[in-house]
Amino acid sequence: MSDALDSAVRPGKAILTDTTKCIGCERCVQGCVQQNRLPRDVPAKFKSNDGLSGARFTSIVEIAGSQPETSRFVRRQCMHCQEPGCAAACLVGALVKRADGPVVYDAAKCIGCRYCMLGCPFSIPRYEYEQQLPYIKKCKMDETCRVAGGGPACTSACPTGATVFGPREELLAEAERRIAERPDLYLDHIWGEREFGGTSVIYVSDVPLGEVLAIPTREELEARAVPSLATDSIPHLLHDWVMVAPVQFLGGLAGLGALAFLRRRSRIMAEKRAEDGEESR
Amino acid sequence: MSSARVLRRLKDVMWVLALAGLVVGVARFAFGLGASTNMLDSLPWGWWKIFNMVAGAALATSGFVVAAIIYILRLTRYYPVARLSVLIGFLGYGSSLGALIFDIGLPHRGWHPFFMWNPHSFLFEVFWCVSIYWGVTALELLPILTERFPFPKVTRFLHEVMLPFVVLGVTLSTMHHSSLGSLFLASPTRLHPLWHSMWIPPEFFISAMGAGVAVLVLFLLLLSYLYRAVFEERLIQRLATISAVLLGAYLVIKALDLTLHDKWGYVVGPQLTWESRVFWVEIAMQAIVPVLIFSLPALRRRRGLLALGATSALVGLVMHRLDTGIVGYFTSSQAVYFPNLGELVLSFGILAAAGLAFLFLIERFPVLRGAGFCAQEGSPSDPEGHQPVPPWTWGEARELFLGAGARRVGMTAVVVLPLTWFGLRGQGTSAFQPLESAVRPAVQSRDAMRTTLYLDANGNGDFVTFPHEQHQQAFVEKYGVELEGTCVKCHHLSLPNDRQTVCRACHQDMQLATPMYRPENHAERFEDEAQRARFEAFDLDDPQENFAACMLCHEESMAGLTEYAVKGFDHRAPGFVTAMHGECMTCHRLEERDPADPFSLGNCIGCHRWTPRGEGQELNMLGAGEEPLPARIIEGPVTIPAK
Repeated sequence: MSDALDSAVRPGKAILTDTTKCIGCERCVQGCVQQNRLPRDVPAKFKSNDGLSGARFTSIVEIAGSQPETSRFVRRQCMHCQEPGCAAACLVGALVKRADGPVVYDAAKCIGCRYCMLGCPFSIPRYEYEQQLPYIKKCKMDETCRVAGGGPACTSACPTGATVFGPREELLAEAERRIAERPDLYLDHIWGEREFGGTSVIYVSDVPLGEVLAIPTREELEARAVPSLATDSIPHLLHDWVMVAPVQFLGGLAGLGALAFLRRRSRIMAEKRAEDGEESR
Repeated sequence: MSSARVLRRLKDVMWVLALAGLVVGVARFAFGLGASTNMLDSLPWGWWKIFNMVAGAALATSGFVVAAIIYILRLTRYYPVARLSVLIGFLGYGSSLGALIFDIGLPHRGWHPFFMWNPHSFLFEVFWCVSIYWGVTALELLPILTERFPFPKVTRFLHEVMLPFVVLGVTLSTMHHSSLGSLFLASPTRLHPLWHSMWIPPEFFISAMGAGVAVLVLFLLLLSYLYRAVFEERLIQRLATISAVLLGAYLVIKALDLTLHDKWGYVVGPQLTWESRVFWVEIAMQAIVPVLIFSLPALRRRRGLLALGATSALVGLVMHRLDTGIVGYFTSSQAVYFPNLGELVLSFGILAAAGLAFLFLIERFPVLRGAGFCAQEGSPSDPEGHQPVPPWTWGEARELFLGAGARRVGMTAVVVLPLTWFGLRGQGTSAFQPLESAVRPAVQSRDAMRTTLYLDANGNGDFVTFPHEQHQQAFVEKYGVELEGTCVKCHHLSLPNDRQTVCRACHQDMQLATPMYRPENHAERFEDEAQRARFEAFDLDDPQENFAACMLCHEESMAGLTEYAVKGFDHRAPGFVTAMHGECMTCHRLEERDPADPFSLGNCIGCHRWTPRGEGQELNMLGAGEEPLPARIIEGPVTIPAK
């Protein structure tokens, strides 16, 4: 199997977001906007209500509680999957998972088919519909985001340490440590550890995040008849069908070619026999 | 109405649609996809891609099915429809690819997938197969053109080399018709389970072939009506049977799919959603009705019922593709997409253009050779059906471009083009319009401008309560001015006739500076020509030069602005959040009395505290005798009180 579908957990950088620490101040959004020089977020009918758009790579979504104190804020951004559905979808290979963590977009290749938007289980890539020459826009998490401290602008801007940047293994260990330390507070689940083959953006929380992050539970996946996605990636799920194509091509050419040849010969033979019959009569 | 008149009316309608589509197509490139379509970030594939491409290609499958039957299986009794079905394939694919030119964001890069490969992508496979197959159909059609021109050798050569290309075309078709379905495998958690299945590829392949043959039957019925073409009744019946077998196979596969993947609960049972109903309508039209009609000889011998069955198969297939590509995503996206009028006009305009090309080729080229066909009404078709095709002459070309038909089209264009442009305003032919600002204005409680405002600069729903009236009274006491004179303490009065412009008028973006002040307009008011020339000599886009330009006249009032002398003016209004912080905190820091008190003026939670949302629940922050709200102090993880 090729490198792109190697399901071994990759090393590389990641982001851990802890919703128990997030106060919803949107400093991460502000940091991202300033670092990436994003334009005004013009409200438009095609934008979703989760705050992400062609002009906003990260956003804060509120999970409203019954009391103000029970409300929680969840930072939305590209999950930087270990095996991204968008990268498998893109027909020109404009989206690529880099070994050091980020899923990067090469605007020079993009033709604007928007299949990555359909192929992303989290609906993260956004489109500049308002432009005459539109491109896909999403969180980059690469060098262009880094600020003086070394991390991306978003995590560096966080005043409460609710979202932090670091090597994925270390962040997973940190997440486990937090859950073990405060089992009364945290739910015993790390969102993004295994789902869809694991993501480079992981979450710990004291409220369920499946709905807001579009990460289904195992039961929901079983109801959809794709239980493997609880631990495995979408490209993996589709791999068998992808491999059908070359077989179908060569097999089709050979099989149909042979059939056509045989039918043609038998037809010619039959015509010849008919002619011979006429002559002999 | 005679069939000739129906034909003329049909052509008129097609020209109107095609011309209107042309207008929408121009508007789409002029204004962009956001302005001319209803596509969404959450539902990025719209009508053009699903209806024109995915469904359109599926309805044009007769080209490869009949080619396989005739050239590979050598069943020559289908020969009368050979060219017709390949023509349907060629024009069907052509119209699909035509729609894609408008649908994809950067169509000038349409050649990229030939050189930039991602073999893991189903769309990559579809792209290669469809583009090569389209070339193959063009090649298969070439004899139709060459037979009317004096190139008999070319015609003979084409017939000699055709077989390998037919094999290639059929192979490519088996690949891309399944892959058009595989495209939707990529959203296993977003597409509704009724339409998402790991069996999509064979389901799409079989249903496309069945519908394609049904469409061919429909075309035969239509041509026999419009042109009095004579097709052998047994041929039509046989095609209907083939379609019934294929659609029946689709029904079986779908039923097996629902059984093996344990999905009957979505179709029958106590907990049905609206999707289940859509599914029932779809499967009934797509397979059940046509299979019933096509498989019972008593029913399919009646032309009306046969046409009904074929139409049902066509509409059902379109429904199935729309459900798989668009409707099945509604629930998970929590959004609804419906194409706007412009999208529909362009979509059907492209189909109409393909239809006109189809009629043109049918009437003037030997497409229906061997089908007892006569193009000119009244001229008898010979019983063998081998009506000789007259060779091409220049007179025909002249008649085509300058004749009565061309004049009629020109007159139609004069009416249709402007009508479409103005008639579809807001539905495809107007420029992108942003919605109202997402930054919410200060919510005014009770009586405007007098009591408490709720400020929500970043639009996240958490307000800062701002007691406007009490600030006014505090200013009266502090500065000893009249109530009228307090406005200027906060409102900059920097806009013309400004009395109480709301903050968001200039500070539009929650986070970012917004271009606000245009010094060029200012310069128009200069009365002294020399002074204006000096002003205009400055590069106003450069912050420092901009500052120097202001200093020309406003030296006195700007004397204190030493900070700006260094960093200059960029005549941009800061973001709403920054502006509010700057405006409030400048005074609050000066007025700070007890920094140790967390609720004091200079501390964050002096203003930022959890407040009730919405009108009618305002609290009076400075009010005497009221308990301050509990502040939310962030120190490490927050514990949740038990509910």
